[in-house]
Amino acid sequence: MTRVRMTVSALEAAHLTDIVLQFTDLLAEAIDGVDDPGVARLVPDGYRDAAEDAAEFRRLTQDDLLDRRRDDAALVLATLQRDGQTRRPQDLDRADAEAEVIVELDAGAVAAWLRTLTAVRLVIATRLGITTEEEQDDDPRFGVYNWLGFRLEGLLQAIED
Amino acid sequence: MTIPLEDVRLEERSEVTGPWQTVVWNDPVNLMSYVVHVFRTYFGYTREHAERLMLLVHHEGHAVVAEGAREQMEFHVQAMHDYGLWATVRRADT
Repeated sequence: MTRVRMTVSALEAAHLTDIVLQFTDLLAEAIDGVDDPGVARLVPDGYRDAAEDAAEFRRLTQDDLLDRRRDDAALVLATLQRDGQTRRPQDLDRADAEAEVIVELDAGAVAAWLRTLTAVRLVIATRLGITTEEEQDDDPRFGVYNWLGFRLEGLLQAIED
Repeated sequence: MTIPLEDVRLEERSEVTGPWQTVVWNDPVNLMSYVVHVFRTYFGYTREHAERLMLLVHHEGHAVVAEGAREQMEFHVQAMHDYGLWATVRRADT
């Protein structure tokens, strides 16, 4: 897999940082045992119509999966840092927001980005109650969801080329 | 010549358990291109095979993406969950 160079505005990088930080907080709560339907989608049942097998599978895999989500998110946040600092939208002044940021991703970082963007979209979809592929376009609440999908698609294209 | 006891146990077990399957289920969130990427990256399937499986998931609601021993299928299912796909283990004869 090739390395990927992505150009985004500082503001977009900051918004993405903000979203991934919120996701990290949510994961930390889940790892502490707080139930959240969005996080539940990240650790679905491994068996259908077999409650005992599903429970045993969950016991063996859930913590590992949530740890991996946390580690992926940490790697994504590291690639979004500028000058060694994590910047959220409120950390930018107006002139700074328009600046271009080059995000360089090696193979491991690309994989972490793909999984994290996917995981965040799954959580948002649960929150928004998305159950079909059609209802996502015009509603403004889907803005972030669609934007993450756009970035995900772009990354997939970049590694295909 | 003696057969190591471990080998005998393995053979008995595989006869008793029979083949199992990894089933991937459709969801409204994951991009088709991403599902193809996962099938190619994780299983090492060709683009054609990965796309065929993805379309099966999309149109039929699910697809069997691997068959084999139960432990192996559980390993695959965990890997699918790691990628954000919903997958389950089931017996091949159901």
